[in-house]
Amino acid sequence: MGNTATERINTSTEPLPNSKRMASRLWRWRKHASWFQVTLIVFLTAIGLFMLLPIIFLFNNAFKPLNELFLFPPTIWVKEPTMRNFERLFLHSAAGVVPFTRYLFNSVIVVALTLFSVIMASTMAGYVLAKHRFHFKTLIMSLIMLSLMFAPETVSIPRYIMVSGLGMTNTYFAHVLPFIASPVAVFLMKQFIDQVPDALIEAAKLDGAGDMYIFTRIIIPLIAPAVATISIITFQAVYLDMEGSTLYTQKETMKTLAYYVSSLTANLQNSVAGQSIAAACALLMFIPNLIMFLLFQRKMIQTMLHSGVK
Amino acid sequence: MGNVKFHHVYKYYKGEPIPSVNDFHLDVADGEFLVLVGPSGCGKSTTLRMLAGLEDVSQGDIYIDGKFTNFVSPKDRDIAMVFQNYALYPNLSVHENMALGLQLRKVAKHDVELRVNRAAKMLEISHLLSKKPNQLSGGQKQRVALGRALVREPKAFLMDEPLSNLDAKLRTQTRTEIIKMHGQLQTTFVYVTHDQTEAMTMGTRIVVMKDGRIQQVAPPQQLYDEPRNLFVAGFIGTPQMNFLQGAVVRQDGVYYFETKRLKLRIPETYSVRFEASGANLRQIVLGLRPEHVACGNDAPEAWADWQAAAIVDMKEPMGSDTFLYTKVGEETLIARTDAHTPIRVGDSILLALQMNKAHFFDLESGVSLSIPGDRA
Repeated sequence: MGNTATERINTSTEPLPNSKRMASRLWRWRKHASWFQVTLIVFLTAIGLFMLLPIIFLFNNAFKPLNELFLFPPTIWVKEPTMRNFERLFLHSAAGVVPFTRYLFNSVIVVALTLFSVIMASTMAGYVLAKHRFHFKTLIMSLIMLSLMFAPETVSIPRYIMVSGLGMTNTYFAHVLPFIASPVAVFLMKQFIDQVPDALIEAAKLDGAGDMYIFTRIIIPLIAPAVATISIITFQAVYLDMEGSTLYTQKETMKTLAYYVSSLTANLQNSVAGQSIAAACALLMFIPNLIMFLLFQRKMIQTMLHSGVK
Repeated sequence: MGNVKFHHVYKYYKGEPIPSVNDFHLDVADGEFLVLVGPSGCGKSTTLRMLAGLEDVSQGDIYIDGKFTNFVSPKDRDIAMVFQNYALYPNLSVHENMALGLQLRKVAKHDVELRVNRAAKMLEISHLLSKKPNQLSGGQKQRVALGRALVREPKAFLMDEPLSNLDAKLRTQTRTEIIKMHGQLQTTFVYVTHDQTEAMTMGTRIVVMKDGRIQQVAPPQQLYDEPRNLFVAGFIGTPQMNFLQGAVVRQDGVYYFETKRLKLRIPETYSVRFEASGANLRQIVLGLRPEHVACGNDAPEAWADWQAAAIVDMKEPMGSDTFLYTKVGEETLIARTDAHTPIRVGDSILLALQMNKAHFFDLESGVSLSIPGDRA
């Protein structure tokens, strides 16, 4: 039976030697895989494609003319692609009080500052918690773990009081500061640095290296994957965050891109016209995320494997 | 120049009632190859780490080169250490790995080059200098680790089971190299291992440890010939020394060692010592190395009263000679015999126990009764 099946595949793909080879390879592979594996792969591929839908939708939406955006039932694929949405995005903003580019600029500044400070704080804290002996270490570690268990909303009032008490409303610090203390980042870093053999640090100590040298030259290069992971997580959190813009800043010039995008559709007076701008803007918002992820995904998987977090 | 002195050193860990290192008191002479050996958890590594400055000393003093060193930081002790898992910096090349210690000590650049190249040549790793550690095999990594210690030209080399991760052939090879290295440098080496073969072949002096305590300190041959207690006797030598439990009986002025099935005359040399130490016919342990158990047929006449009937249980040919695992009653005795022996498993044979080479130990304390007091 197996032979006839092979023949059938061979004959059907006769004119294309390349695909013929592919088919025979597939068939050979099929012999090694069990039915369970085949079903599993088909099933997972289907789920994967389904997960891809919003992204396809997002890309198509950005190029849809206004009438297609309001079609019912909505379509996934664009029929007559247009750049009009992007044009309107830039034109609309230029006519408004605060230009689109200002929001973009704010977002870039905030993301860069936060990324830098979170990586600094979490790697340093992780190193000390993983490799140093000091009093109350377990207590500090459990406090950090404890703070992981609070939903961010539950502490938003105390956080507001702190930010305003420090006089940081309407500054970039209001966007950055709440993110610096990132228990997830510290926990991940600690887990990852735990894996670095003690002997390595001891060898460096005997070689005459100080703590700072060990940290910057030996630990940091080894935990690059974890840093990449933290970068993705933090980037997404900060980039999409609106709390900073809605709660801690009243000045329009200090608000970020995420807030701007949401205001486009949420703004009732402008909801119809806003749809097209929002579609274009959503794509623009999404692209940096995608780039970050593609850049670091391999390292991220590595981190998940190493830290035992799945 | 590189002498090390331990003055009643103790190490207590939090929450453990028994110290990990218990009254370690020892002088290590300059240029000596000292091996610390013992089963895992005996405190040998802790002792080495205290010497390196990686662990605090709980009690007692450590002197390096005559200077009190308890509170000197590791980098200022002028010692180099080789670790079991090599501990090479994975992101640096072999050359950088070896040079780092010198660069951090602000050694002039040309001097660094000179020393790295010289060490690389000595260890035959010159062609690997530009490689990264993950491109090297285990043996090469350990050479680099040795090289990293070598370039520092330290007062003492500390090695913490450096050969344990290597396969058997490489281990023997690297072992020879370390011995050669010591011969060339004439620096103090302190070497930790759990492998008694390594200890015997490498050390000029061996410290046997158990449960944090020093059991015996002696040169290899003396350790083998005159173990101070049961533990040392059992730990050193493969296959293990044969142990028989029995009583000392005196008949007509002659001492006999007696078990259920055996009655062996104890040579006079021991009798004198028994009387001196006041061994009052109590339970003792007889220790006899496999090479001192001969197969009766080729034993000389003089050993006539040291014979025992045995059944061969297992045969272990080693190539150069054969070990016979024999049963005397329920006791197992290992005998070393000729490689081409015709004796087969299941044969009944006559063993001659060479009592003039025997060791006697107190059953309770395990202390040797056969070594003169001043050597024990």
